[in-house]
Parts: sequence; structure tokens; C-alpha cells
Amino acid sequence: MALDIDRHAHIDSSIQRWDPRFKIVSLLILMFSIALVKSIALVLVGLVGAVILLLLSRIPLVFVYQGMKWIVLFLMPFFVILPLTYPGETEIHVLGLPFAVAGLRLSAMIVIKAVAIVLIAYTIFGSRRFDINMIALQRLKCPTVFVQMILFAYRYIFLFMEEMERMDTAMKARGFVKKADLYTLKLMGNFIATLLIRSFERTERIYKAMLSKGYQGEFHTLVEFKAETRDTVKAVLVLALAIGLFGIDMMAVFPKAELAWF
Amino acid sequence: MDREFAIQVKDVCFTYPDGHEVLKGASCDIRAGEKVALIGPNGAGKSTFMSLLNGVSLATSGEVIISGQEVYEDNLKEIRRKVGIVFQDPDDQLFCPTVFDDVAFGPLNLGLPKGEIEARVTEALDTVGLTGFEERSSFHLSFGERKRLALATVLSYQPDILVFDEPSTNMDPMNRRKLIQWLAKSNKTILLCTHDLDIALDVCDRCLMLSDGKFVADGPASEILYDRCLLEDNHLELPLALMTHELLHEKLSSGQMDAEHKRIIATFLHAHRHSHGPDAHEHVHVHFHPHEHEHMHHHVADDHIHESIKLPLEDDAGHSHNHDHEHSHDHEHGHEHGDSGNKP
Amino acid sequence: MHISDGIVSGPVVTAGFVGAAVLAAATMRNIELEEIPKISVMTAVFFVIDFIHVPFVVSSIHLIMNGLVGIILGKRAFMAIMIGVVLQAFFGFGGVSVIGVNSVMLGGGALLAYGIWQCRHLVSFANRDILFGGLAGALGIFFSGCILALALLSTGEAFLVTAKAVLGYHVILMIIEGAVTAACVSFLLKTSPHLLAGQQPSMTTG
Repeated sequence: MALDIDRHAHIDSSIQRWDPRFKIVSLLILMFSIALVKSIALVLVGLVGAVILLLLSRIPLVFVYQGMKWIVLFLMPFFVILPLTYPGETEIHVLGLPFAVAGLRLSAMIVIKAVAIVLIAYTIFGSRRFDINMIALQRLKCPTVFVQMILFAYRYIFLFMEEMERMDTAMKARGFVKKADLYTLKLMGNFIATLLIRSFERTERIYKAMLSKGYQGEFHTLVEFKAETRDTVKAVLVLALAIGLFGIDMMAVFPKAELAWF
Repeated sequence: MDREFAIQVKDVCFTYPDGHEVLKGASCDIRAGEKVALIGPNGAGKSTFMSLLNGVSLATSGEVIISGQEVYEDNLKEIRRKVGIVFQDPDDQLFCPTVFDDVAFGPLNLGLPKGEIEARVTEALDTVGLTGFEERSSFHLSFGERKRLALATVLSYQPDILVFDEPSTNMDPMNRRKLIQWLAKSNKTILLCTHDLDIALDVCDRCLMLSDGKFVADGPASEILYDRCLLEDNHLELPLALMTHELLHEKLSSGQMDAEHKRIIATFLHAHRHSHGPDAHEHVHVHFHPHEHEHMHHHVADDHIHESIKLPLEDDAGHSHNHDHEHSHDHEHGHEHGDSGNKP
Repeated sequence: MHISDGIVSGPVVTAGFVGAAVLAAATMRNIELEEIPKISVMTAVFFVIDFIHVPFVVSSIHLIMNGLVGIILGKRAFMAIMIGVVLQAFFGFGGVSVIGVNSVMLGGGALLAYGIWQCRHLVSFANRDILFGGLAGALGIFFSGCILALALLSTGEAFLVTAKAVLGYHVILMIIEGAVTAACVSFLLKTSPHLLAGQQPSMTTG
């Protein structure tokens, strides 16, 4: 489970060198554009775009694949349920079960969109150290409180995963095996409670340490961003794609054609 | 010596909101440049006491004065510039993505300019031996490295007073030794809160013992850390170094050895003594369990140490040593010199 | 469960963001410095809980425990969950376009759970807190399921059966989460009751 999405942020690429502020804004817009498009052809174009961007970032594809597995797995039920239950006429039969073709089209679109958006997420958050991206967010006028909480939570997540693994090991060492029964549920409740107590105690101590170093709620950083022309150029290219996709989709040309073909 | 007071605590009490009274009228004074050990059983209030020193907690009553400034809610920022606390668990103090950020956190909060911050970070990392680690994630360092990093994060904002909470816990011997060397060389005011009485013995000239919310002992480390009864009454023990001494003395006094073995042990005791830097102590008086009838005197004069061991006399029923025994400085006892009359 | 990209329609996505913004603003008023680390800790716990799974029939179910977040943080739970959702999206688990929807779904459930939890003061009987804890946990996740179903239905008729399936799934989730939440609350009551919202004041220091 790749919790450290920025593991490969040190790799040099045109994406990595792209000013994070421009990167985030333009790619976020692209993500939304792809998410809202209703034509499968356009979605495929979006996917191709996402793949190209990922390739440009030079983030190892194996790494991305590891993270993606779970999402695709999670979406599989949709791929089955949706076509099976789609209120439509055109049907094909697979294994004796009636699948609505329009339903298949819809689920395919969902999966492609989800994949494209995750690829873009990797492009953004995998190409730069996470905290630098968050500072970029703050420079983009995201509320400081929000950014601070993200950064704290980010730090704690790694600590707590470790804590959880330690507790898990301890429980297994005492012979605990998870089963589908009430006892397991009770133990899970205890497990979570213990994690909570330890976490809160820890947070009190961290807070004390921060106060001891003069913390009074402000958010300081030495990071500076300097925009160059090529940052704007890259952003414009991406925005062109985003607006293009959305615009063409708005004209509702493709969906009609696609429905007619099917 | 008329140095200024770094820390003055006057009759402080602290009670938690749920009614639990932790400090019940504690008072002490620490001068600038002193190295003081704060010892005491668990639950005595040591952690609470430490958090009063930089205003993280505010005393329910009484005064805490840091370098002449009383600790109030309004002047906490200045107080925290002067007092740096290095907490026990490094993971509680490292919360930034990179080593650089963690060490820069303090100076950033002080509002220093970028160049100054970078200089301080470099210096602090250099002091703890972590130069070159700036871009690494503090999360991926080893425990020893994280402990040193935690120290660096406090050093970077250059407080005059350093307070350590259990600095040597979980440290490997080499790092512990490095820490001791660093502490010994430092000219800051140092308060070491620790259960590791051996580090206290090595580093500190003075010792404060906190028990049940009050200071029950305040004096030279050479007295308090050697006082078995006082220590045991407060759930503590003699430092290991001194226990070893005791053990060897026991062996010596049990008299089942030949002269050659006795000489070897006496030499060892002497060397052991010497290695623990009794130089700082002008006169050291070691007290043992009342049933033992042997004691050692050190007389330190300039460079060399005379060590004399009194060998056991007859069984003495009434001869007991209690820890109120008076001792004076520069006092030479006329004891037999046994086989141990070695000079370094 | 939270929803991934590409499923719900544009208007639903927009409604999600608007709803999230409103709820965030409403629940974060007068935030104090000390609360920030607490909220962040809860976010992190909420995030890692997602990796805990309990066996169920042939596979396993991942825990969510948004109700618990409400029981612990009170109204600040919304922000804690929203940040958790944001982090999941930023870590590459998908759902960037539906951050708003997911926040309203899970965060709203947490707020409801808090409301139910506070209602315990209206009655008095043995084990009252554990029962209300379980109820809050159960209804918190069920509410989330309802919002999800609603989001699906608002997107299109095509999702009618899916929405029903989602609701059905959440009924099962309700039982599991309710039980785990109850156990958790029980443990906390015995060891650190001050962690629960609406109890005695905690031992905070300046």
C-alpha cells in the first residue's frame, strides 16, 4: 500500500520541474473535466492525456500500478451490478445473464474516468515532496488552518500505521485470530480505543514540544516558488485539453452518436 | 560565586483540573552555568515541574522566574527563547517532513531571517553529528539519530538553559557516551531529569531530588548520589558505578582472598574511582550500609588522588555509620594504607 | 465506503462541494490553537482505521468508524473527516472530484452520530453510554449510506438498483460498525472518559 506517494519525487522530469502551483491548478481542472464528461470517446482521450502526463513525469509505472490495483478491484462490483440492473432495452447475454449494453458503456466510462483521475493524482502528488505541494496549496489561498491540519495528519498517519502494526503483532503473538464473530468485533473496538488513547497522549506531548519551540499557530516556511514562462506554457496546454474536452462534451455531439452506434 | 540565577522556583504548587495535586510547594534556585540533576521516583512531579519552566504549564501558585523574568501567560514567547526542553521521546518532537524543517522550526518561530536560520540549522546539525542529513526524512532515521536530531531541534534556537527529560533512555552505549561528553563540555545551564543516576554522576555537580511534589534533597551530587539511604527511601538506588564499588568492597572485606587478589581489586577500585571524575568533588565521602564497616575516603589535591581503604576490624556491633555523618573538606584521615596505596 | 470519481453527475459533485464548504465553515467557528493537533490526530486515526478489516462471510469489510469520530470530536469531526477524505484523494486512492460528496457523506454521518451521542443526557439507565455509542456508530454509517444512495439516485435512474444495493450493504455495515463503536466507547469509558465529547473537561495544559 503506497502511502508515500512521493517516494519518487526526486526523479527529474518536466513534470517535476513544473511549478507546483501551476501544476495543481491546471491538473485539478483537467481532473474535473474528465470526471464530468459524458462521452466515452472523450473520456478515452482524457485517459490518453493522463497516461502521457504520467509518462512525462517518469514515475515508475510499477509503483503506480501497485496503488491502482485496489481502486480497480473496488470498482469491479460496479462493472457487474450496473449493467445487470440498467433499465434499458438493448441487451447482450454473457453467461446467460442479461447485460444492458448501455450499462456496460456506463461502467466502462466510470472505470476509465476513475483510472485517469488517479493517474493524474499520481502525476501531481508523486512528482514533488508532499509538504511542498501542500505549501503550494497554501500559496494558492487555501486556508492556512486547513493546510496545517493536512500536514500534521500526514505526519501522524505514518506514526499510527507503525503503532497499529506493533499492536497487531502483539495481538497475534497472544494467539488472536480474526473471525466473523462478536468477540472479534469487541477486540477491534478495544484495538481502536487503545490506538486512540495512545494517539491523543502523543498529541499532547507533540503539542507541548511545539509550544516549547515558540509555536503560536502561525505557519512558517522558507520555501519559495518562482514561476517561469514554461510553467505557464505547460499549464495552458493542460487547460486547453481540459476545456477542449469539456467544451466538445457540452456540444453533446458524441454521446448521441455513441448511443446510436450501440 | 556570584553568578546570576538562571532558574528560580519559589514555592510552586500545581494541581490538575481534575483535582490531582502534583507539586506541593517546591522551591529551588539554579545559577547560570550549573549542571543539575533532577531525580526522584516516578510520579514525583518531575515532568510537571519541567513544563513549568517554559510555561507550557502555569503554576497554580508560587513563582517561576527564568533569568530574572517571571513566567506569565503574556511573556511566554520570550521565556521559551531562553529555556529549551528536550523531551524523552524523539518522535514527540519531530513533526516536520525533513530534518532541515524540524531543526528550522524553532528559529522560524523566532522570526529570524532566512540566512540566519540556515546558519543555525547547519550549526545545530554539526553539533549533534548529523551534518548532511538536511534533506532526509526524520521518520526514516534510526532511534539514535532521532534522539540526536531532537536535541538539534532545541539547540537551533539557542536557549541559555537546557532541560533534558531522560536523555539517555534507550540509547546505545556509544551514543550515550557522546552525549555525556557533549554535556560535560557545554557551558549552558543544564537540568538533567533522569533515572540514569550514572549519567547524573558523570555530568552534574548538583542534585535535586523531587519526591511527592516537593524537593527533599538539594546538594552536591557527590553527597546525594552517594547516599544510599536517601536514595532507597525514595525508590531509587545507588548509581551502578557505586554499586560496583560496594560489591568489590564487600569482596575485599570478606577477607577470603589472598593479598595479591586484594591488591588487584583495590587497584581496580582506585582506577574506577578516577575514571568517574572525582576531580570535581573536593571531598568525597562514601557511605555504605550500616552493617558494613568499611569506608573509603578520597582526598583530592590537584592532580592526584589518594585512596585509602580501611580493612575490617573485629565485628563491631555498635559501630554504625549513618548518613548524617559530618564530613569536612580537606580533611585527612589517618588510616592505614592497605595494599591500595597507589598513585596514578 | 466512499465513492470514487466518475460515478455521480456534475450537479451532485457541485452540491457536494457546496455542502462541504457550508458544513466546514459552520463547524470550524472559533477554532482554538489546541484543537488543531487533536483534529489532525483524529484524521490520522480515521485514515488508518480504513486499513483495519473484519472478516465477513467469504471476504472482509473495511471499517470506517465515522460515528466514532463524531463521538470524540463533536462538531469538529466534520473537518477531521474532510481532511481524511482529501488525504485519501491526494495519496492516490481516487475520489478527487468527489471530495465534497464524500465529505458530506461521511462527515455528515459523524455529525449525526455526535447528535445522537449527546442525546444520552436525556435518559438515564445502566450502560446508557455504551448503548448510545453503538447507536451513534450504527446510525452514523447508515446516514452515510443514505447520502450515497441519494447521490446515486440524483445522478440517474440507471443507479436505482445500485442505490438499493448500497443501502442494503450499509445495513450490514451498521451492525458491524455499531458493535465495534460500542466496544470502543466501553473501553474508553473505563480508561479515558475525558476523550469522549460532552464528558468532563480534559487535563489540557496551556
